[in-house]
Amino acid sequence: MKSKVPSFLLERPSSDSFERGKRGLKMPFIEKGIHHLAYVIKTGYIQWETASTDNFFQRIDARIKVLFLLFYVIIVSLKKDILPEVLIGAFVFILTLISRLNIFSLYKRVLFFGFIFGFLIALPSAFNVITRGEIIFPIAHLSRPYSVWIYRIPEKIGFTREGVYGVMMLTSRVMNSLALSFFVLFTTPFSEIMKALKVLKVPDSFIMIVTLSYKYMFVFAKTVEDMHLAKKSRLAGRVSNTEARRWIAGRIAFMLKKIRMRCEEIFKAMLGRGFSDDIKIYGVEKLRARDWVTGVAFFLVGVLFLWM
Amino acid sequence: MDEIIRLEKICYSYYEKILALRDINLGIKEGERFAIIGANGSGKSTLLQIMNGLIHQSQGKYFFRSNEVSEQTLRDKGFLRFFRERVGYVFQDSDVQLFCPTVLDELLYGPLQLEMKESEALDRAFEVMQILNIANLKDRPSYMLSGGEKKRVAIGSVLTMNPEVLLLDEPTNGLDPRTQCFLVELMLALNEAGKTLVIATHDLSLVDELHTRVALLSEEHILEKIGASEDILKDEELLLKVNLIHEHIHYHGQDIHKHRHSHYLFHKHEMK
Repeated sequence: MKSKVPSFLLERPSSDSFERGKRGLKMPFIEKGIHHLAYVIKTGYIQWETASTDNFFQRIDARIKVLFLLFYVIIVSLKKDILPEVLIGAFVFILTLISRLNIFSLYKRVLFFGFIFGFLIALPSAFNVITRGEIIFPIAHLSRPYSVWIYRIPEKIGFTREGVYGVMMLTSRVMNSLALSFFVLFTTPFSEIMKALKVLKVPDSFIMIVTLSYKYMFVFAKTVEDMHLAKKSRLAGRVSNTEARRWIAGRIAFMLKKIRMRCEEIFKAMLGRGFSDDIKIYGVEKLRARDWVTGVAFFLVGVLFLWM
Repeated sequence: MDEIIRLEKICYSYYEKILALRDINLGIKEGERFAIIGANGSGKSTLLQIMNGLIHQSQGKYFFRSNEVSEQTLRDKGFLRFFRERVGYVFQDSDVQLFCPTVLDELLYGPLQLEMKESEALDRAFEVMQILNIANLKDRPSYMLSGGEKKRVAIGSVLTMNPEVLLLDEPTNGLDPRTQCFLVELMLALNEAGKTLVIATHDLSLVDELHTRVALLSEEHILEKIGASEDILKDEELLLKVNLIHEHIHYHGQDIHKHRHSHYLFHKHEMK
């Protein structure tokens, strides 16, 4: 074996020193993105694990919490004014405080997703091209109105009062729904939520899909992070954005292959352990007085919000 | 021999919550064979990744050839190149390491990153393929390789960069005995060629075969002991304490035996 070692492997680097680069390297977008993905998923995991602390909402039975979530999301969707939405938001915020959750971490997620899936998506509807009404923020003035397909583009383009109100309503609904969901997720261990869904007669196939997806998320995050580290260990300079995008595309294809293979293996393992489309649960306890009182209190507050 | 790697009071926690390493002090000399051993979860891979500058210590200092390695120093283009061409890392899971379309592309990736001429890079790739017996696989994509072939390609992809230090994470894990034997011979040959080898493993027979200096990590994530492999592998109490060997009960015919078991050295029976 020794005689076979290529001659270049016997060469030592010419110098033990190095020349400092003129400019520092910036963290490329791909690295930032992957770090963020891994961080979000893994911190999410830690939060789920710590959801069993002994605070106010954490002690309540998961069934009550799941019903609370469903009931309040329906209320949030039914309300047609900003004021009740703000009051519901404030109510969830108070519950978050009482449950001693990390307010910054929870609301960072609510604002991020609320901005993307609420505000950004609804924003175009604020224009008078889509929602007719009184223009309160004029943006552009055309020489004459135009007709494009089913749309009529007026001379004066801008945000309408009705449109802005619609955007505010949708954003507040999305943010309230997110705050409610994250609040329940942060205060309830994952296994308890699944158990509650089973007791509440949610179909087994749905629970199975959610459970497997949840588990696979962490496998996926770890694989993505490791692949990134493996590439980083062989990089000696900056990678252009084009090359980075090409690498991501290649890796996505690899991940899809790996996911398919892993799915097959998991399904075989499930079959091997007697899987029969039916999820068996154990240790379902009766609701205690504390759960009933909290459930009734939440119900009454919800009815109050509905009445407003 | 000079110390090529020096770690001073290295601590690392995942997401500031899960402790992985605590107060690790160690030095590795140039041309040395060095093994980091410990039970699962003791922090071996984390330590190896810190040595490759892939993750960065939360406390303490890491020096490579007396140059501090940190997130900040690796942002310097000159130092990044200096460091990456001298330290190579072979991952435990070869799948994550192989990301190019074919085996040949894998071997060329590193040298081309180092801005080497294409002809020189190709020469290196073919020489490495010869020593690793993978020349017949050069046009194959990585997902069409067996576990042992993937491992050879992963090692080859690092060797074409001609690093001074080779960091190997569980190099023999999941490989058949013949490939394991090949890898041991390869590692010894590379070491004789002047490469510094750092191996993270819980395979005690590998440590014995390579006859390394050993850093033993405990399940409390601290450095329990550093010493020669023959001293550490003899210390049954110590290996038992860090969970690298265990008490084992089994039958021999009609007799029941209880003994310490490591799948390697200790198989001393005592009658019950």
